[in-house]
Amino acid sequence: MADILEISHLTKRFGGLAAVNDVSFSVPEGGIVGLIGPNGAGKTTIFNLITGVYSLTEGAVKFKGQSVVGLPPYKIADLGITRTFQNIRLFKNLTVFENVLTACHLSATYNIAESIFRLPRFRKEEKALVEKAEKLLEIMGLTDRRDLVANNLPYGMQRRLEIVRALALDPELLLLDEPAAGMNPDETEHLMKLIVRIRDEFKLSVLVIEHHMDLIMGVCEHIVVLNFGLKLAEGGADEVANNPKVIEAYLGTTEEA
Amino acid sequence: MDWTYIQGILMLAGINLIAVLGLSLLTGFTGLFSFGHAGFMAIGAFVGALMTVSPTTTPAGLGLPFFVGVIAGGAAAGIVSYFLGRITLNLKGDYFCIATLGFGEATRLVLNNVQVFGGARGWPGIPYKSTLPAIILVDVLAVVFLANLVKSRHGRNMIAVREEELAAQISGINVFRYKMIALIVSAVYAGVAGVFFAHYMTFLQPKMFSMTKSTELTIIVIFGGLGSISGSVLGALLLTALPEILRAFEIWRLVFYGAAVILIMISRPKGLMGGMELTPAGIRKARMERKARLEALKEMKNGQDGEGSNG
Amino acid sequence: MTQFLQQLINGLSIGSVYALMAVGYSLVYSIMNFSNFAHGGVIMLGAYFGYFALTLLKLPFIAAVLLATVGTTLLAILVERVAYKPLRERNAPFLYFIISAMGASILLENIVIATIGPTFRTYPQVIERIPIKLGPLAIGRLDLLMFFISAICLGGLILFIEKTKMGKAIQAAAYNIKACALMGVNTDKIILIVFGLGGFLAGVAGVFFGMKYTVYPQIGNITTKSFVAAVFGGLGSLPGAVVGSVILGIIETLVAGYISSQYRDLIAFVILIGVLIFRPTGIMGKNTVDKA
Repeated sequence: MADILEISHLTKRFGGLAAVNDVSFSVPEGGIVGLIGPNGAGKTTIFNLITGVYSLTEGAVKFKGQSVVGLPPYKIADLGITRTFQNIRLFKNLTVFENVLTACHLSATYNIAESIFRLPRFRKEEKALVEKAEKLLEIMGLTDRRDLVANNLPYGMQRRLEIVRALALDPELLLLDEPAAGMNPDETEHLMKLIVRIRDEFKLSVLVIEHHMDLIMGVCEHIVVLNFGLKLAEGGADEVANNPKVIEAYLGTTEEA
Repeated sequence: MDWTYIQGILMLAGINLIAVLGLSLLTGFTGLFSFGHAGFMAIGAFVGALMTVSPTTTPAGLGLPFFVGVIAGGAAAGIVSYFLGRITLNLKGDYFCIATLGFGEATRLVLNNVQVFGGARGWPGIPYKSTLPAIILVDVLAVVFLANLVKSRHGRNMIAVREEELAAQISGINVFRYKMIALIVSAVYAGVAGVFFAHYMTFLQPKMFSMTKSTELTIIVIFGGLGSISGSVLGALLLTALPEILRAFEIWRLVFYGAAVILIMISRPKGLMGGMELTPAGIRKARMERKARLEALKEMKNGQDGEGSNG
Repeated sequence: MTQFLQQLINGLSIGSVYALMAVGYSLVYSIMNFSNFAHGGVIMLGAYFGYFALTLLKLPFIAAVLLATVGTTLLAILVERVAYKPLRERNAPFLYFIISAMGASILLENIVIATIGPTFRTYPQVIERIPIKLGPLAIGRLDLLMFFISAICLGGLILFIEKTKMGKAIQAAAYNIKACALMGVNTDKIILIVFGLGGFLAGVAGVFFGMKYTVYPQIGNITTKSFVAAVFGGLGSLPGAVVGSVILGIIETLVAGYISSQYRDLIAFVILIGVLIFRPTGIMGKNTVDKA
C-alpha cells in the first residue's frame, strides 16, 4: 500500500530556533496515524507546513507522490488535504448549514457571470451543493442544528462541525489538530468511533494530533512522537508506550520527578 | 413640499445607493475597509463625462451616447482598482486601508491639476442624462446582480474571507482572488455611480470626491448593517433624505454620525438590519435561526437542571 | 548649493512635525497591531487646546504646552476606553476597530466644527519670527525649537521603552500581547500607557503644527501623510517612523522647490505606492507571521 503522505527531513526555523528539526515519517493510505508530544513539540507547526500556511526551511512534503512544497494553502486543499484547528476556526457568525455549504464550493464550477445571471449551470450545480451539504449534516448527525449560528453550538458539536466542514472538501487526507480538546471521556469515545467511521465511509487517511492518550492508543495504528521539534520515536501503540525516551519526555526522568 | 424636491432627493439617494452597494460587497461581505471609494466615483465621473461631453464645450470631449459613458466610467474605475489591489491585497489589512486613503486623496489631487477637466475650478457643461427612471433601473439591476452574486458559492467564499481568513484558505478558497473580485466589483459600482452623479449635477469638481464623501458612503453601509443588502438600500434612502429634513441641524449631523458609528460598532455591528435581509427568504432565515437559538438555549437549561452531558 | 541646503533644512523642519505625528501612531500600531485612525483628531485638538490656553487662559507658553499635552493624553485614553476597549473585550474582528476609529475621527473633527467653528485660528506669536542665520542659510527659531523638543520627546520615549520596567513590558506586549497577559502582566494598564504616550506626542505635534501653520478642524487630514511616513519607515518601528517622516519631509520640500508646489502633496502617495510595490515592510519594518 502506498503512502499518501511522505514527510522527509522536514525542518522549520524561526530565526535561530528550529521549531521542527529534521522530522521524517509517512502516513499510509487509509491509515490513522497519531502525532503526539508535549506542548511546543512542533506538532501544529508540522500541520502548518503540510498545509502551506508556513513555508519550510528544509525538507520535503509529498502528497500522493507529488511535492506540495511552495503551494498556497487553497491549492493544497484542492489537492485533497484538509484540516481542523487547535483553536476552533469555524465561520462563527454563519449557521451550521452555511459553514458546510460554503466549504462545498469546490464541488461546483459555475463562474461569477453564471451566478449573476442565474444561468442553468448555476442552478443545477447550486442544487447539488445544497444536497451535498444536507447529506453531510445528516451523516454526521447535525441536521437538527442546521440553522443554529455556529457560535451558539455546544463546544463538542463545534469540533464536530469543523470536521464536517473539512469533509465537505472531499479530502483524501484529513489532519485533525487536537479534536478531543476539552472533551469528557464520553465525548472522546464518540469522537474515536467517529474518526474510524469517517475513515471507513469516506475512504480517507487521517493524521491526528492529540493529548488524550486513550484516543491515540485506541484509534491510531501508528504513532509518531515529537519533542522539541525532533522525532523521538515511532511505532505501534505498545512500542511507543514502552519506549523509555517517550516516557522521559512526558514524565521526566526519576531524578527530576 | 413639491415633487421636484422629493425627486431630487430620490435621485441622489439612488446614485449614492449604487456606490453603497458596491462598498457593501467589499466591506460588509468581504470585510475590507476602504477610506477612498470616492476616488473610484471620481474616476468614473470624469471618464464618463469625457465620453459624453460635446467637443464644442470641452475640446477633449467625445460627445458619445450616455451608456458609453457609463460603461467607460465603470470600466476605468475597475481597471484602476485592479492595480491598487495587486499591490495591496496580499499585505495586511492596515496597508490596504492606508492605501485606499492615499488613493482617494491622490485621485482628488491629480484631478485638481488636470486642466482638461478644468482643474480645481471645476468642469461645467456636462449633459443632463440621469433621469429618475434611469437611476431606478440601474439601482434595480445593481441590487439584483449583487444579491445573485452573494447567494452563490462566490459570495459565500467572500463571506468566509470576512469571517475567518485562515479557515477560508484551508477550505480551498483563493483569498487573494476573492478580495480582488470584491474590490473590482465595488470599484465598478462606484464608477457607475460617479457617471450618474456627473450627469445629474452637470458640473464636476474634484472636491466633490473628498475623503468626506468616502466616509459618508461607508457610514451608510454601517448604518444599514454589514452584510445586508436591504440594509444598504434603506440606509442610502434614510441617510440621503435625513440631512435634507434636518437641514437646521446640519453642523451636528456629522457629529451624530461619528458618535453613532462608534455606538453601532460597540453594541450592534450588524446595524439597522442586524445582518438580515428584508426579503421573504431573508425573513424566513432569520426566523429559523432565532428558533434554533431558542431551542438550543432551552436544551442547555434542561441540561443544567437535569443531566449533565453536552455532547 | 545654498538653496539646496536651505531646502534641506526646510524639509527637516516639516519632517520633524510629521515625525511627531507618525511616532504616536506607530507606537499604538506596534502594540495593538492596529492603526489608530483617530490619532489625527487628537492632534488637531492638541492644537486647539494649546491655542485656547494661550489666548483665553493667557497662560505662559510652557504651561500652555503642558496643558495641551495633558488634554490630549486624557483624550487619547478616553477614545481608547470608549471606542476600542469594548471591541477588544469581545474579540471583535479588525474591521470593527477601523470603523470605530473612523467614527471617532469624524466625531472629533465635527464636534469642533459644530462648537468652536470652522474658522482658521492663528497662534499668537510666542517665538520671534526672525530666523537665525547660519552663514547664507536661515533657520527659523520655531523650527529649531520644534526640532529640539521633538528630539527630546523621542529620546525620552526611547529611553523609557529601553530602560524602564514598564518600557520592557511594552516591548513584550508589542511582540505578543496575549502571552504577556498569560504571564500576569496587566495588559490593560500597558494599553492605557501606550495610548497615553501616543496622546502626549499628539499634543506636542498639534501645538507645534498650530504654531507653524494655523489651527483648523481638518488638521487630522494632514496625518494621512504621517501614516504614509510610518509605512515608509516601517509600520511598527519607532525609529522607522522618524526616519520615514524626515525623508518624506525632505523629498516633499525638494519636489516643491525644484519641480512644482502642485506636486508637493502628491509625492507622499507616489512614495506610498513605491513602498507597497517594492518593500512593504518599509525601511526598518518588522516582519510578522500569523500563527495558526
